[in-house]
Amino acid sequence: MRNLKLSLTAAVLGSTAMMSPAFADGHLTIVDEPLELTIHMHWPRSQGYQEDYPVELAAREMTGIHLIDQTAGANSTDSGEAMNLLLAQGNLPDIVGGHLIRQPVNEYGPQGAFLPLNDLIAEHAPNIQAYFDDHPEVFNSMQAYDGNIYYIPYLPDGLFGRAWFIRQDWLDALGLEQPQNVDELYETLVAFRDQDPNGNGVADEVPFFSRAWEEAIRLVTLWGARTSGSDTYHDFYVNADGMVTHGYSEVAYRDGLSNVANWYAEGLIDAEIFTRGSSSREFLLSENLGGVTHDWFASTSGYNAALADEIPGFNFIPFLPPEDINGVRFEEHRRIPVKPDGWAISFSNEHPIETIRYFDFWFTEEGRLMSNFGVEGDTWNMIDGEPVFTDEVLDSDRAVNSQMYEVGAQIQRGYWQDYRYEWQWTAEAAREGIELYMANDLLLPIFLGVAFTEDEQAVYDRYWPSIRTYMLERQQAWVLGTGDVVEDWDDYAETLDDMGLQDVLGVMNQAYARQYGG
Amino acid sequence: MAELDRTAEAEPATYTINQPTRMERIIDHLKADWQIYLLLAPTVIWMLLFLYKPMYGLQIAFKDYSVFRGIAASPWVGFEHFETLFTNDQFIRAIRNTVTISALGLFFGFPVPILLALMFNEVLSQTYKKVTQTIVYLPHFISSVIIAGIVITAFSPSAGIVNSLLNWLGLDSIYFLTRPEWFRPIFIGTGIWQEAGFSSIVYLAAISGVSPTLYESAVVDGASRWQMMWKITLPSILPTIIIMLIIRIGNILEVSFEMIILLYQPATYETADVVNTFIYRQGLQGGQYDLAAAAGLFNAVVAFILVMSANSISKRFSRTSLW
Repeated sequence: MRNLKLSLTAAVLGSTAMMSPAFADGHLTIVDEPLELTIHMHWPRSQGYQEDYPVELAAREMTGIHLIDQTAGANSTDSGEAMNLLLAQGNLPDIVGGHLIRQPVNEYGPQGAFLPLNDLIAEHAPNIQAYFDDHPEVFNSMQAYDGNIYYIPYLPDGLFGRAWFIRQDWLDALGLEQPQNVDELYETLVAFRDQDPNGNGVADEVPFFSRAWEEAIRLVTLWGARTSGSDTYHDFYVNADGMVTHGYSEVAYRDGLSNVANWYAEGLIDAEIFTRGSSSREFLLSENLGGVTHDWFASTSGYNAALADEIPGFNFIPFLPPEDINGVRFEEHRRIPVKPDGWAISFSNEHPIETIRYFDFWFTEEGRLMSNFGVEGDTWNMIDGEPVFTDEVLDSDRAVNSQMYEVGAQIQRGYWQDYRYEWQWTAEAAREGIELYMANDLLLPIFLGVAFTEDEQAVYDRYWPSIRTYMLERQQAWVLGTGDVVEDWDDYAETLDDMGLQDVLGVMNQAYARQYGG
Repeated sequence: MAELDRTAEAEPATYTINQPTRMERIIDHLKADWQIYLLLAPTVIWMLLFLYKPMYGLQIAFKDYSVFRGIAASPWVGFEHFETLFTNDQFIRAIRNTVTISALGLFFGFPVPILLALMFNEVLSQTYKKVTQTIVYLPHFISSVIIAGIVITAFSPSAGIVNSLLNWLGLDSIYFLTRPEWFRPIFIGTGIWQEAGFSSIVYLAAISGVSPTLYESAVVDGASRWQMMWKITLPSILPTIIIMLIIRIGNILEVSFEMIILLYQPATYETADVVNTFIYRQGLQGGQYDLAAAAGLFNAVVAFILVMSANSISKRFSRTSLW
């Protein structure tokens, strides 16, 4: 049945390909005879690669390469599990792609499961090579410990992720200005707590809240401390001396956390921040309780429209990060330019050159537009040299990204995202905020991670998970008022060293120097 | 049963000599009762496939396991993973927490279904009995995620019913789920609430199997309901109770960890982090299956020792045992 369906599709395609004038010049053709390649593609939105994606059908016409779904673990939503299942089976499909493939690909690539791509890219993939020439740090970050790269990543576009948001209408009601530094932020939060900005006569306001308790910890950045160097919480970062280090082992963090604990004790931070969970933003905003948060531009701006009828005057807008105690204004969170998602070529692939040329197709102008916006004429049109979504897509009840996933665009193949895709459906308030953030120099260098040798990995695995657990335990305890961070600090620092922090930082820096030529 | 075993051990010689006849006997058995063996077959096949075959994989506890290389081709590393585990203070703490949570859970949780069963047995009104039974069975059928949501809400410092009660009594609110000292009572209490009703079914079944003649003669002898419960019902279901106890003891290292993951915080790791959650977190840092297998093997060995000792103690003192 399945085969019949496939050959039918192929027959229909064959005929449309001959008639279709749009791609008639064939400058993107990779193979003259149609070539079928099998693919594993497991990612959160779909546990498989649908062979009837309009984008796949169009790419097939343009390149002659036809992807056949052979995804393992389709009954699980855990992509890591699916990957392990696939590897354990042994016979890999030609292309292995999807969510979170970096770790397995870089671990099993050197063992022979995946092909090193360096030479293939240099010889057959001019467009991918051009990207790496422009972004050497991305190339470096992708290397496995043997110095080769084993996958073509999903490369997100856009710089800012999270921003500071405040209830501008509350500020107006209390006659306050947007806070410009730590002290003003403190006064603003106190005013939100005490002066009943929501006007219901009850002191029920929650001055600072967040969907993630880690954002309350990130307030330490106001005292010059660091919590992460990437878009993942509690990650390492590269300090001013070019060394990899961890924010939670530094004195600035002690002072910052001591102040955060005070803010928490004074009721300026949501008392239930540790258990309220992911619905807290929805709840606290719609109940007219929340004042300030640090959250994603697009989704947080959306509440202005959603709550306009329920809460008269509701105006929750981005404001610039307040200056820290040293007078520096920075935004610690930023989007990461390279994701651990994408695709790789397995050792059993008999057509590596055609495959890398196919990967390269998605980095050509046509391929990139299609991977971002879908098929031209269906979901978007070129207007004055800019790809613009059709009104049908933009005015739909459903989010643009969900619509894209269904046509096979924005899925986790190796591709380079185009920020114009997101900008078109970003709310006006968020656009203004992003422009405000862009106009100021707020970003810090990003830490893109390192690839360990097996020995380094052993040191990291042996010590780091326990150290991290200990750091987080103490962190929450201090914020909740069990113990005092300043008093406990010497003990804490000593325990971190006893637990092997210096060994972990040692292998981190060793790997970092090797990989980034530090 | 035990006597049979002993004869088999004491006389190995007869064993070999009798083998052909033994074989014939087995075939005769199979022929005579083939329907029963047929019914048994799916379970035996299931056990072989899902419980015995995976034991082959246990060896990765002693290997540097690579999914791609496969079990056979991964190099041996001896006891390295066990060393890693036992030199880690957090693993030791996790074992301590697991045993404490389980032991407390057993102590407080084990009698509850028995009490419930005895109480249901004494209820006269059929309607009342059915309604209450349904109410206490119900939580068993709710998923852990929802139960955890209910618990988090009930113990919330601002809107939770528990803190509202405390406030009403003039006490201060407590942020229960971030307090290490409150984690165990909440976790164990939740477990009892969720499972006690459903677990009582086994005991109710045992009670319904007690011969009515015992009660009839007791009534003739003028026994009160209380005396009948103590002298007839309880002793009659004692074997069931002991079997259930032995099973529970064997599972003492198996705390329902998905519930813990839903309820714990770094702030409560001190009392809440159990072996399985520890492994879950360690494993997340790069799929360390070999290390997780080592911890799982350790769990299994401890469970085996516990079941064996519980069984032999029970055999010696109450003459009831699993085998």
